[in-house]
Amino acid sequence: MQRLNQDTTVAIVLLVFCGVCFWASFDIRQPDYGVLLPSTWPRVILGVLSLLSFTYLVQSIRRDSKATSTTQETRLTSVSDWLRYWRNPLYCFGLFLAYLLMLPILGMLLAGMAFVFLLQSLLGGWHPRRLLMHAVVAILSVGGMWSVFTFGLDVMLPSGIILPSFN
Amino acid sequence: MIVENIIGAVVELATIQTIILMMIGVAGGLIAGAIPGFTIAMAVVLTLPFTFGMPASQGLATMVSVLVGGLSGGLMAGIMTGIPGTPSSVATTFDGFPMARNGEPGLALGIGVWSSFGGGIISAILLVTLAPQLARIGLEFNPWDYFMLVMFALTITASLSGKDLIKGLIAGAMGLFVCTIGEDDAAGMARFNFGSDALLQGFDFIAVLIGLFAFSQLLSDVRDPKIAGQSLTERGQIYGRIEHRRAIRTVLHHWVTVVRSALIGVFTGILPGAGGSIANILAYDQAKKISKHPEKFGTGIPEGIIAPESSNNAVEGGALITMMALGIPGDVTTAVMLGALLIHDVIPSPTFITEEPILAYSIFIAFFVATFMMIGLQSFMLRIFVLVTRVRMYVLASVILGFCGIGVFAIHNVDFDLWTLFWFGILGFLMRQFGFPLAPMILGVVLGNIAELNLARALAITTELTPFVTRPWSLLFLILAIFSAFFPLYQRHRNARQWTVVYAPAMAASVSLPMFMMGGVARPLIGIALLILSGYLVWHRTWKRPRSDTSGTS
Repeated sequence: MQRLNQDTTVAIVLLVFCGVCFWASFDIRQPDYGVLLPSTWPRVILGVLSLLSFTYLVQSIRRDSKATSTTQETRLTSVSDWLRYWRNPLYCFGLFLAYLLMLPILGMLLAGMAFVFLLQSLLGGWHPRRLLMHAVVAILSVGGMWSVFTFGLDVMLPSGIILPSFN
Repeated sequence: MIVENIIGAVVELATIQTIILMMIGVAGGLIAGAIPGFTIAMAVVLTLPFTFGMPASQGLATMVSVLVGGLSGGLMAGIMTGIPGTPSSVATTFDGFPMARNGEPGLALGIGVWSSFGGGIISAILLVTLAPQLARIGLEFNPWDYFMLVMFALTITASLSGKDLIKGLIAGAMGLFVCTIGEDDAAGMARFNFGSDALLQGFDFIAVLIGLFAFSQLLSDVRDPKIAGQSLTERGQIYGRIEHRRAIRTVLHHWVTVVRSALIGVFTGILPGAGGSIANILAYDQAKKISKHPEKFGTGIPEGIIAPESSNNAVEGGALITMMALGIPGDVTTAVMLGALLIHDVIPSPTFITEEPILAYSIFIAFFVATFMMIGLQSFMLRIFVLVTRVRMYVLASVILGFCGIGVFAIHNVDFDLWTLFWFGILGFLMRQFGFPLAPMILGVVLGNIAELNLARALAITTELTPFVTRPWSLLFLILAIFSAFFPLYQRHRNARQWTVVYAPAMAASVSLPMFMMGGVARPLIGIALLILSGYLVWHRTWKRPRSDTSGTS
C-alpha cells in the first residue's frame, strides 16, 4: 500500500476535527432570544474550514501523483531516525510538560530554574564546564525574572510546597 | 484641539520612569531584532506581561519603543553577518553585507541606521496626520461593513503571508474557530468546552499568541542541533563602530529613495497582513527598477540599503494607522498592540482617537520619541549586540522559554494559561512544519470576536443578507476580498495566462462601483479615475503591448 503524504494526512486530520466539532456544536444550548444563535457562527466557520480542508485534500492527492518530495523529513524511514531528527523539539515539549506538572510542587522559581537548566543541558551537552554555565544562566535568568514579577510588579507566582510564599 | 492633545500626551509621557522604560524598550528591541530567529513580534509579545501593572499610556509607549527598536535591530545582523535579524531586513543584506565585506561596515551600518530614522520619521508624520482622517471615514462603517472588513483582512493576510492560499485560509478559519471556544459573548452559552470548566473561559489571547508565535519559533530555531549549538559570531564577523557623518551625507544625497521607500512602507503597512517582510523587498525592487545603474545592486551600493531600511521602519506607522483608526491590526505586531489595549480596557475603533485622545496621541508621540532614541542607542547597542552574539542559540532559546512561562502565568495568575501556551506551542510548531502561515491564524484569533459581534449586530438590525452587497463599504471590502483571494493565482500565472491581463483592470473597474454608490463629490471622482485607469490598463495590455512586442521583434 502506498504511504499517505504529509499534506493528505493533515487534510484528513482537519476533516476529522471539523466533523467532531460539528457534532459537538449540537450540544450548544440554544436560547430563545437573539437572531444569531450561539451555534450558527461556529458552524459557518466549520463549514468553510471543511470546504477548505477538502480542497486541500484534493490538492494534496493531485500533487502527490505529480511529484515526489525529497526533503530530509520524508527520507526518515525508521522511528529512531524520526526521533533523532525531532529530538530537540521533543526535549522542549517534554521538559515543558514536566515543568507544568511540577509547578504545584516546586513552584515557579524552582521549576523554572530546573526547566531552563535541564533544557540547556539536553540541547547543549553535559560537559562539566557547560553544566556550571547552564546552572549560572538558569539561576540568574529565572531568578531575575521571578524577582521582577514578585517584588517589582507584585505578581503572585506559584510558590509550591518546598519554598515559602514571598508575597 | 490637536495641540492640546499633543501637550496632554507629552505631559503623560514626560516622566523619568516612562523615559527610562522607553529607553529599555528601544534597547531590548534593537537586540531582539538583531538576533536571527527572534522576531520583533516575539519581542513585543514578551514585553506585554511587564506592562500589565503600568498605566495604559506608559505600557503602550514601552511596547512602541520595543517595536521601533526591533525594526532597526534587524539591520545589525543583516549587515554584519549576512543573516537578516528579522524577515523585514532580508533585502538589507543584499547590499549591506557586500558593503561590509568591501571594507566599509561602519558606513553600511550608518546608512542603515539613518535610513531607518528617515523612514520612521516620515511614517510617524503620516501616522499623526492620516490616522484621525481614516478614523473619520471609519465612523461611516456599520456592522455589515465591519464584518466584511474583517473578512477582507483575513483573506488578504492569507493570500500574502504564504505560498499556498488554501493553507493561509485554513489558518485564518482556525483562528476564527479558536475564538468560539468558551462562553459566547452574546448569549453566555458554553461552546466546545466538552464539560471542562477551564475551557469555559476560553483561551487567553496572549497565551495563544505567545504559544503560536514565540514558543513555536524558538522550537523551530533549535530543531537543528548544529545551528542550536552555534553562536552568531561563528556565522560572520562582527564590527562595532558606526560612521555617522558619512552616512548622513549619503542618506541626504539619496533623499528621494528615502521618501519613496517610506511611502511604499506606509502603504504596505496600511494593508492588513502585508508587513515589513514584503515592504523591504518591494522598496528594494522599486529602487533597482528606477536606478540609473541597476546592475550595481547587490554589489554594496547605498541605495540598496537605504530603500529596504526606510521602508521597513515605515511599515509599522502604516499598520498603526489601521489599528488605531479602525481597530483592525495590520500585522502580528499590531495585533499584540491591540491585545495590550484590550487588557487596559481600551477598545480600538473609529471613535478611539476622539474618545481617548491623550492615549492615542501618546502612541503617536512615543513612536516619534522612540525613533530618536533608536538613533542615540544604536551605537551603544551595537557593542552589546557584539556580546550577545557570543551566546549560543540554545541558551537564548532555553532562557526565553523560561521567560514565556513566567510571563504567561502573570497575565491572570491561572495555571490554565500555561497549558494554553503549551498546546498552542505544539500547534504552532506543527503548523510551521507543515507550511501553514501563522499570521492569518493570529489575525483570526484577534478578529474572531469582532466578526461575530458585528454579524450578530447586523442580523439584529435586519435578517436580510442583502446589505452585505448593497452597502458601499461592505461591497468594497467584498470586492477587495475576492480579488485578494485570487492574487496568489494572478502572481503565479502573470503574463502566462490570458485572464491575468484583465485582473488589474477588472479590479479597478469593480472598485469604482462602490465609489459611485458612496455619493458626494470626491468619491465618485475617484470612481471615474478608477474607470479611466481600468480603460488605460486594458488598452496598454491588450493593444499597445502586443504592438510594441511585434515592433521589437521585427
